[in-house]
Amino acid sequence: MSVIFALCLKEWRISLDTPQGYVVSIAFLLASGFFFGNNLFLYGQADMRHWFAVLPLLYIFFIPAMSMRLLADELHDGTYELLITMPTRTLDIVLGKYLSLLGHTTLLLALTWLYPLTLLLLGNLDMGVVLSSYLAAWLLAALFSAMGLYASSLTQHAMIAYIVGLILLLVVFLLTQASPTLPIVLQDWIALLGPINHYQNMLRGVVSLADVVLFISFTVIFLSLTWFALERRRWR
Amino acid sequence: MIKAELLGRQYGNIYAVKGLSFEVKRGEVMGLLGPNGAGKSTTMKMLTCFLPPSSGEAWIGGLSLTDSMKVRRLVGYLPEHAPSYHDLDVEAYLQFVGKIHGVPQGTRQDKIKEMVAVCGLEAVVFRRIDELSKGYRQRVGLAASMLHDPECLILDEPTTGLDPNQIVEIRHLIRRLGEQKTVLLSSHILPEVEAVCDRMMIIDKGELQALGTTAELSKQAQGGVLVSATIQGDVERFMAQLRPALPDIEVLHQKAVEDSATHVEIQHPDPECKLAQAVFHAAVASGAVLLEMRNERASLEDIFHQLTQGGQAS
Repeated sequence: MSVIFALCLKEWRISLDTPQGYVVSIAFLLASGFFFGNNLFLYGQADMRHWFAVLPLLYIFFIPAMSMRLLADELHDGTYELLITMPTRTLDIVLGKYLSLLGHTTLLLALTWLYPLTLLLLGNLDMGVVLSSYLAAWLLAALFSAMGLYASSLTQHAMIAYIVGLILLLVVFLLTQASPTLPIVLQDWIALLGPINHYQNMLRGVVSLADVVLFISFTVIFLSLTWFALERRRWR
Repeated sequence: MIKAELLGRQYGNIYAVKGLSFEVKRGEVMGLLGPNGAGKSTTMKMLTCFLPPSSGEAWIGGLSLTDSMKVRRLVGYLPEHAPSYHDLDVEAYLQFVGKIHGVPQGTRQDKIKEMVAVCGLEAVVFRRIDELSKGYRQRVGLAASMLHDPECLILDEPTTGLDPNQIVEIRHLIRRLGEQKTVLLSSHILPEVEAVCDRMMIIDKGELQALGTTAELSKQAQGGVLVSATIQGDVERFMAQLRPALPDIEVLHQKAVEDSATHVEIQHPDPECKLAQAVFHAAVASGAVLLEMRNERASLEDIFHQLTQGGQAS
C-alpha cells in the first residue's frame, strides 16, 4: 500500500511540477472553457449539455498527453529496471501510476465546477442532470485514463504512446459516431457495450447501475492489460 | 552471501549467460570482468530479480531468487548508466526510494542525510537531477542503492563517466563499504578491479573463464616464467651456455640495443625451473655483463586479453 502511495505521489509531483504537466492542464482548461462559452449565450439556456457532449473529444486529445510518459518514460530511461528491482509488485506500479493519472484528470474536471457555478448565478440550472453528467464524465475519464496508461505500457517512446492512445480512444469514440452506418448486429453490440453510448445515457440525468458497472469493468480490463504488458516484458 | 549455480539466460536462441557458477562470501568485494557483451549486465540483472534466469539457480543471503520480494530487500542495485528520475530533485528522489524500500518515516530523513554525506552530495541536495553532471548522477544512484542499508550491493560499472578524482573517491567508498557489506561490481577498467576487489572473475561469451585473486589468476594465466634481461657481450656464447642447462627455453624477443648490448626475453614452461639463476650463471660463464634482469609477471591486461580472445599466451 505504501508503495502505491509513494509512486502515486512521485508521479503527481512530476505531473504538476514540470512544464509537460501544467502545459497540458492549462491547454485542457482553455479548450474546455472555449467550448463552454462559445455558444452558451447563443442558446440562452442554463444547461451544460453541449459542453458535456464535446468533453469526450477533449479527453481524446488530452488524456493520452497526460498518460503517455507514465510508463513509456520509465521503460525508456531505465528507471523501470530500478523500480522492478526494488520491493515492488507489478500491480503496485500499475495502480500507483493509474491513481496519479486519475487524480490529475479528476483535478482538471473539478476545476470546471466554475461553469455550473456561473450558470447557477445566471439562470435556473438542473443540478440533478449536472451531477449525473459529472459522474458520467468522471467515469469516462477513469476509463480513458486506463486506456492511455495501457498505450504507455506498450512502447518505450512517449510520442508513440500518445499516438497509440489517441487511436485507441478515437476508435471507441468513432464506433459510436459511425454506428448508424454499420450492420444492424454490430449496432446492437455497440449500443450495448459502447462507452460513449453509456456516457450519453447518463447525460440524460439517469444513473443506472448498468452504466456504472460497464465503465468500471472496462477500466479494470485495461488495467489488467497494462499489468500483462508489463509482466510480459520480464520474460522476453 | 551470493551463490550462483549453473546460472543461464537465453535471448531467443542466443545464450547471454551460460552455466555460470560462483560464490561471493560475506564481506567480500568481487569484481566481474569481461569484454562488452560478455554477459556482465545480464548476470547482474538476474541476481537482482529483474530478469528471470532461463536455467540454473542462485541464492542471495540463503534465499532463492524465486523468493524475489525478500531478495530485493537484501540487495542494493545500481544499474548501468545510473538511471534516476530527472524531473525530481535529489532530496525528493531519495525520499521516494526510501519510501519504496519501506525505510520507516522516523529514520528516513537521518538515513538520507547520512547517504548524502557519504556520497558527497551536500552541495546538490535541492538541485534537479537533470541539472547534475554525470558524476553526480552516478553518486545519486549509489546513494539510492544504499539507502535501505542492504547487505549486498550489486553495482554495474559504478565508475563510468566519472573524472579521475571522483573515481578515486568512489573506489574508496566501495572499499569502505566492502568491509561490512558484500559487493559485486562489474567493470572493464582493469586497474580499478585490481585496486578495489578482493577477488575477481572473468567471463566471456557468457561463460566463466577464471575466478580468483589477482595473484592466482596471474599464475594460472602465465603457465611458466618469463625473464627479460639486457646483456652486454656476446649473445651467442651466452645462449650456448644457457641452453644445455635448460633445454626447453624459448627466446621470445631479441633486439640489439646501444653499447653493444642485447635485450632478450626468455620463457620457460616450468615455473619452478629457476630461470633467473640460470640466466645469471650463463652470463658469468660466457663473460657477458648483465645490465638488467627482471622477472615478468603476467599483468591483468594480459590475463584478460588471453582469456577473452581464446588465444594462447604470446
